[in-house]
Amino acid sequence: MTTNTFPAEVRTRKPFAWGKFFSQFLLYFILTLGISFTLLPFVMMILSSFKTNLEVLQVPPTFWPKTFTLENYIKIFNDPKLPLLRFYGNSAFVSIFNVVATLFTSSLVGYMFAKFEFPGKKILFGWFLTMMMIPTQITMIPSYLILARLHLINSLWGLVIFSAVDAFGIFMLRQFCETLPSELLDAARIDGASEWQIYLRIVLPQLGAPLATLGILGFMGNWNAYLWPMIVLQKIEVRTLPIILTWFNSTHTGQGALVMAATVLIIMPILIVFLFFQRWIVQGFTMTGFK
Amino acid sequence: MVMNPTQKPRKKAEGGLVIAKRRFVTGVTIPLLLYESLGIFVLGWAFVLMFFDYSSGRLGGPILGLGGSNPFVGLGNFIGMIKGTSVEASLFRTSLLNTLIFAVAILPLNLAITLPLAWLLESIGDRFKALYRTIYFLPVLTSSVGVALIWMSMYDPQAGWINAIIRFFGGTPISWLSDPHAGVAGVSIAMWAVILAYLWQDYGYNMVIFIAALQGVPPELKEAALIDGAGPWQAFIKITLPLIRPTMLFVCVMTMLSSFQVFDIIQVMTNGEPNNQTQVLMLDIYKNAFRYQNLGWAAAESFVLFLIVMAVTIIQMRLLRTEWEY
Repeated sequence: MTTNTFPAEVRTRKPFAWGKFFSQFLLYFILTLGISFTLLPFVMMILSSFKTNLEVLQVPPTFWPKTFTLENYIKIFNDPKLPLLRFYGNSAFVSIFNVVATLFTSSLVGYMFAKFEFPGKKILFGWFLTMMMIPTQITMIPSYLILARLHLINSLWGLVIFSAVDAFGIFMLRQFCETLPSELLDAARIDGASEWQIYLRIVLPQLGAPLATLGILGFMGNWNAYLWPMIVLQKIEVRTLPIILTWFNSTHTGQGALVMAATVLIIMPILIVFLFFQRWIVQGFTMTGFK
Repeated sequence: MVMNPTQKPRKKAEGGLVIAKRRFVTGVTIPLLLYESLGIFVLGWAFVLMFFDYSSGRLGGPILGLGGSNPFVGLGNFIGMIKGTSVEASLFRTSLLNTLIFAVAILPLNLAITLPLAWLLESIGDRFKALYRTIYFLPVLTSSVGVALIWMSMYDPQAGWINAIIRFFGGTPISWLSDPHAGVAGVSIAMWAVILAYLWQDYGYNMVIFIAALQGVPPELKEAALIDGAGPWQAFIKITLPLIRPTMLFVCVMTMLSSFQVFDIIQVMTNGEPNNQTQVLMLDIYKNAFRYQNLGWAAAESFVLFLIVMAVTIIQMRLLRTEWEY
């Protein structure tokens, strides 16, 4: 019985295995090519930052630093015009403020839209949906004019004042709040909890996952934001990291290694933090389709 | 419900609850309405501005500086965009064309990279898949300024890696970001250079979305097709692709929308140079508004960009609707 079926199986398997080996090889070859193309620019940035400014001008370029030096990093840390910690602080303030403000308003308003009935609710919600569609380039110019009149140009508060309410966050959290059982909320009411207590103690803890997703995406967006901060923050000392990086680049032309070291210092720390949150970021992107 | 003596105090308490609810709603909506009326004001201002020749440098009339030395021009800005002969008008048309070129080039290139790679990633183990996904996702998380600087150093005409590779294969090095005469397929070389950098930053995003969509395709369907004698390629075209069509449409629209609004990477890498060959609409709007103080014109330009973005979104909705009916 075994002698009857075995050879047939072997016969069909053997040529297949060769094809499989070849296709596996091709598969990993292409994937590795893609990975190299993605990673090499980062690797070159890091390696260049350890070269001397003379070595990065060399033709043909060297891959591995001939003389491995920390002088670029030392120069940046000792540059009184580039107090990196301060700029990190500016970026952190803007990002954290925005995230906290939008998470608070989105959860509160989303909860209200989901669980309360009041006159004009549909109109108000429709209005939010419309606001969601309006791109920043439309509001950018009048927002700037308002800030100029309020003397909030060059102020980090001016940067965050227009983004305390996020229509998209409200929309997303409303959907989550709709899934909360109303009986739970009513039980709390009958037990004597005030509406604010219900929001803080019952609703908010249930929204952990969507709040984390929204928060991380919001933090990322704010941390990497470029156009609006560049418009509002014209003085150097109030700038956030991305605008400082372009400023540093334009004031240090011809010093490629130094600029690469600054780039490493400005993009790498947060990139490593984002990597830890990668799973949630990916989840957020795929769930919300929002960049 | 059965009427009993305990009903009475509870009814009273419910009345109290209704009041508490109403108070909560008022407490939330009133500040919200006040804040959102700021948004309406901003929108209204944006809408009004595009009918004026407005510069923040001039004092103008009493209401928001409109009128007086910032005169009302009606549809003048829009007419100027279509048939004006001024520098700003022709620059607008150049920017519009460049934006279209950019968006139209990005979409197929992006799909040609992301869809096959995501499909290939399907057939490897979960552990490897997570690692590959993480790496492809790195550029998405990187600040576009960082991406621009990294690519600028690679595009450097003398010491850049890309020219080093070209020299190695015996070609002539190219001034990627500053040669106004070089070009491929009628598109300037500087535009191709920013397109490549933008692609590099962006493809991880679409790939992650495709990976998620492909994971949602039931493996039984594919297996059934393979058992029925279809090759893996046929199974992909006939089974997988139709099933992820909604994702495809979504990805196409998102990619189009973000490439129509590209700004950061181009502003840092070329700032529109050489000879305005990489001047895109957002960059033109930014320069008009905040460099040349030509805010009325810039507001009108943003409105045009908004219309394009809206049109793309509406087309997407139509396509999705037919998909639902199907």
